[in-house]
Amino acid sequence: MAKSTIYAGLEIGTHKICVVVGEAKRDGAIKILGVGQAPSRGVRKGEIVDFEKVQTCVNDALVRAEDRSDVMIRNVFLGVTGAHIESLNNRGRHRLPDDQTEITEDDVEESKEIARSVSIPQSNVFLHSVTRQYIVDGVEAVRQPIGREGRTLEADYHIIHGIRGRVQNAIRCVREIPLEVEDVVFNPVAAAQVVLTREAKMQGALMIDFGAGTCDYVLYEDGMITASGCVPLGGDHITNDVSMALQIPNGRAERLKVEEGSVLYDEVPAGEMLSIEDDTGLILGEVERAFLNEVMNLRTKEILTQVRVRVEDHLGRLGAGVYLTGGVSLMKGVDAVAREVFGIKVTRAGSAPVSGITATFENPQYSAPIGLIRYAQILDSEKPFLSPLKRLGRRMQELLSAVTF
Amino acid sequence: MVEYDRSQTREGPEAPGPRICIVGVGGAGSNVVDRITLDRIVDATLVCAHTDVRVLGHSMAPLKIQLGAELMKGIGAGGDPDLGREAALFSREQIRQAVEGHDIIFISAGLGGGTGSGAAPVIAEIAKNTGALVLVVATMPFSFEGRRRLAQAEEALELLQKRADALVLFENNRMGELILPKDGIQKAFNQADQLIAQSLRAVSTITTTPGLVKLGLDDLTSALANANGRCLFGFGEARGQNRGVEALKKALKSPLIDSGRLLHQTKNLLVHVAGGESLTLVEVEGVMKQLGRHVPDQTHILFGLGVDAKLGDAIAVTLISSLGLNQLNAHAAAAPPSEMLQPRAEVPAAAPKREAPAKKLSPPYAPPVETSASFLFKGEEMAVVPVGEAFPLNHGMPAEEKETEAVEQPMLMQDEPVAEESTAPIIESTPETARIPVRTPAAKELADAARGKESTLASVVARSVTLQTEAAPPQDDLITFDTPVVSTISATSTVIARKPAATEQQTFSLGEEDRGRFKDTEPSIVQGEDLDVPTWMRLKKKLRR
Repeated sequence: MAKSTIYAGLEIGTHKICVVVGEAKRDGAIKILGVGQAPSRGVRKGEIVDFEKVQTCVNDALVRAEDRSDVMIRNVFLGVTGAHIESLNNRGRHRLPDDQTEITEDDVEESKEIARSVSIPQSNVFLHSVTRQYIVDGVEAVRQPIGREGRTLEADYHIIHGIRGRVQNAIRCVREIPLEVEDVVFNPVAAAQVVLTREAKMQGALMIDFGAGTCDYVLYEDGMITASGCVPLGGDHITNDVSMALQIPNGRAERLKVEEGSVLYDEVPAGEMLSIEDDTGLILGEVERAFLNEVMNLRTKEILTQVRVRVEDHLGRLGAGVYLTGGVSLMKGVDAVAREVFGIKVTRAGSAPVSGITATFENPQYSAPIGLIRYAQILDSEKPFLSPLKRLGRRMQELLSAVTF
Repeated sequence: MVEYDRSQTREGPEAPGPRICIVGVGGAGSNVVDRITLDRIVDATLVCAHTDVRVLGHSMAPLKIQLGAELMKGIGAGGDPDLGREAALFSREQIRQAVEGHDIIFISAGLGGGTGSGAAPVIAEIAKNTGALVLVVATMPFSFEGRRRLAQAEEALELLQKRADALVLFENNRMGELILPKDGIQKAFNQADQLIAQSLRAVSTITTTPGLVKLGLDDLTSALANANGRCLFGFGEARGQNRGVEALKKALKSPLIDSGRLLHQTKNLLVHVAGGESLTLVEVEGVMKQLGRHVPDQTHILFGLGVDAKLGDAIAVTLISSLGLNQLNAHAAAAPPSEMLQPRAEVPAAAPKREAPAKKLSPPYAPPVETSASFLFKGEEMAVVPVGEAFPLNHGMPAEEKETEAVEQPMLMQDEPVAEESTAPIIESTPETARIPVRTPAAKELADAARGKESTLASVVARSVTLQTEAAPPQDDLITFDTPVVSTISATSTVIARKPAATEQQTFSLGEEDRGRFKDTEPSIVQGEDLDVPTWMRLKKKLRR
């Protein structure tokens, strides 16, 4: 394997399409070589609704990324999300044959097979299946069961699956650019690789990638991925609420939200007014700041509550608290609302362990695409303890070959 | 030494098997009977009963009954169950003669149409009176057949439930999954018939043939015991190596079981394993172990085992269970949202209602349109956000209706607890109650609708509009019709009590239109709330100041 490898990550977001080119060094460091970005059209709630528009935008982003990084991009790691993606934990139990006491590789394979044979709807496809831990004779958190003595072996799996057709749509869209899709990754899984430190994962952390179209989350407990999913609500919904409450077009609502909006309205002095301008700069009307903020607050709180509902069972064990990333995490006061909703420590975070164009990686908007680079690196690294991820890569290739032909 | 013939202890071969009769009622029923006749899979008297003489002419069944020959003159019931029932009553005697002298009578009918829903309960009653066991295998109509047929089907179902010993119910909607989308409709129906025929055969063999571990009708009824339950049925047959597991796989593949997923929730599951002489214990064990993965621990498994020389070297696995409609729907909703989320009943129900009031609401108070726009940006009234009006571009409604709404929305909001300070210009509101003028025709209609179809309405409302979750019931008592022109609804300031008026009104305004830029996307429905509709609209919380 080369000393360093160059990867490209592509995230087709609802707000922006982003291509990140990064160099993964052998020692685990990542250097961002260039970022290409284009505003996104034809994406709703994280899923492509208009192929042609998206392709144009991807092309734009791609050309810019190639320009800046001086790298020709042929393969990308594609981040996907969408309401259809679900996750579950499954445990496969394998009993060793009576004449055998030592766990062999075959037994491990067998238990994994059982764990993976969970029934998902026929239309669905596995995106990731990650080993969380092995359990030997009821003893939990065994990382390496081969060679141990035991009677029963259980494999704990976290399985992420989505509807085949919708995943394929994203892949097809990119392939027509044309770009080869090396791997499909569920966005928050990628983002978590750069947002959460290993320590945070061990302590237990919930990462929320609060994007424009969707709010994706991953929950780690004892260093193991425990829950993940996607709430199909995001910044777009906040904008939509604002636009409908104030009766102004979406674009203006978006600008108002970004420039003036906040989700804190308690401290806003009553009667403080904002003026709304139309395209020609004519003042359309005025709106009270507290009103705007409350509309945004209601929606933000609701979205976070939806996330909370889905991870309710695990909240008690999150030592590192909640990590907020994604575009909406830049919104004023969102951390306070999150603290109110989750009742635990909330950190706004971008991606940390990378070097390169600093402005990029500090911005939480780029967590997912940078995470894709990190993910690619993990996938390729040959550390034995990451081997499940490698297997995952193989699975993805199967998927892709199924898609191609 | 006394010779003891062991074979006597089992049901001896000389004992006559139970006499079975299968009656197909109506179009769907006769199709199933045809299928059974063609496949010669069951040894039974096959009877086809229909009002339409043309269908009878095509039927392959050896015995045909034309229902209500004099009444109907050989023409079908035309989707009217009353006609179907009348016809069956006319031909009572003929039916009785046909079904008499059997031990088990199967009645197969497609519910929803005229003959099927009308005649089947009558036939079931006649059959019951002959002293036989009566099993009904029925299908519920496709959702695209409309609300009315579904209602007819449900009515018939209720009657059948009272009269039949066991009811095996298939959901046509699920049958659609049997085939690939590109396959012809012919094939779809064929497959459905085949599945029903299979289940008929399975039920009759299970309950009648002697087995090593015998299953009786009691087991069947307990497997199917579920209020308003839909049948989960799977059948698989396989030969060769690993045949047991293969057969189970096939059985689980049945769309009615959804590759085993639906079994996760069942309380009772009937499993019948049958094989030729070569069936081994290990195979049976293998099948049951495999099945164990799909079934929760607390499920009561009714296990049956039979050796049937006819099967040769094949193993047949039959799974029968039932699941309440609610659970089934919940499952459907939880599963791939794309095709199943569309609540079946709603579409036809909601559509007509939208039109009706639109016609009736002539706008007596119609203010100049600016009213709605102006109070948005005037400090004082800013809090009053006209719900229906918020995003004018997206309103597909006629302008006149829009205006009316604009007036009414603020009025409705008045009775909110916080509302006192912000009074809409048109009506005065007391702190406790607000009087909402509603034109009589509309009000009456709404009240009637609420009374008539409380449940449907409630479900429609709950799904489509989030605001009205606990809507329908209490309201109609509050509506009084004393004045000829204007009737008043007085609503107390509690949220629930004032729902009635609000419910109806908002069903119209909070449709697709209010989802703004998400109107073309798949709705994000969580617990019956469409989360794409702005939060503030849903919470209908008065924005402060």
